[in-house]
Amino acid sequence: MAELDEIIHQPLRLKIMAALNALPAATGLDFTRLKKLTGATDGNLGAHIETLAKAGYVTVAKAFVGKKPQTTVTATAAGRGAFARHVATLREIIAASAPEAD
Amino acid sequence: MSIDAREAASALSDIETIAQRVRQSRFYNFASLMLILWGVLIFFGNVASHFWPPLAGYIWIAVNAVGIAGSFAIGAFDYKRMGVRSFDLRMVAAYVLFLAFGALWSIGLGHFTPRQLGVFWPTYFMMVYTIVGLWIGPAFVAIGLGITGLTLFGYAFIGPWFELWMALVNGGGLLLGGLWMRRN
Repeated sequence: MAELDEIIHQPLRLKIMAALNALPAATGLDFTRLKKLTGATDGNLGAHIETLAKAGYVTVAKAFVGKKPQTTVTATAAGRGAFARHVATLREIIAASAPEAD
Repeated sequence: MSIDAREAASALSDIETIAQRVRQSRFYNFASLMLILWGVLIFFGNVASHFWPPLAGYIWIAVNAVGIAGSFAIGAFDYKRMGVRSFDLRMVAAYVLFLAFGALWSIGLGHFTPRQLGVFWPTYFMMVYTIVGLWIGPAFVAIGLGITGLTLFGYAFIGPWFELWMALVNGGGLLLGGLWMRRN
């Protein structure tokens, strides 16, 4: 059985990756939307996004929309791959514990 | 790192919940623009029908034509932004079939009066909103049931101002629903 991805497995990082993976490739979510979706605080969300960015799982782009700064977080191809493997491992764990049918 | 099956199931459930919220959020974002467009068109369609009743048929054909063109424009904008086609020819075909079925029963076989047509079309559309809302999100159920209730109230109690009432509750209701979705 494959190993769980320790970076993704942390509950908030799992939510962040789940949210980003629900979008089409190369489409990101802005920080405010991500905060609302995950129910995280600014500081906590920022710290976990940084961890994911350091692992190469997400990219962070900062821009100004009008006069407002906007931070957009997007899952990278490596992040999507790692997330897919993590989900597959979770399913394997459940399947392995299920009683075998005769 | 090792976890048991219960923790794995809980993690998968969290993933599905978040993915569902993202899908709903994306749909609301797209649908809100549609609601605002159709709300404005229906508002003006009803106001124009009130002041120029002999032209009502042409007015509603124009409203639908502009609405479909506008929906295509919103679909193209959404495609450019999100890379997913939300409004395509299949949606137009579904819309035309829906209109044809309504016209068959209300005009072809039913011979509804103008006032009955005025209550039939909004409630017919709102039925779809309500049913779709059962899968997509509660906002659509609220909009569908709310506008249906207010339409029936207007049919029963609002006399010669019925079209203006419909401009307010149907056009205004969709517009407010769309703005509420954007805000949330």
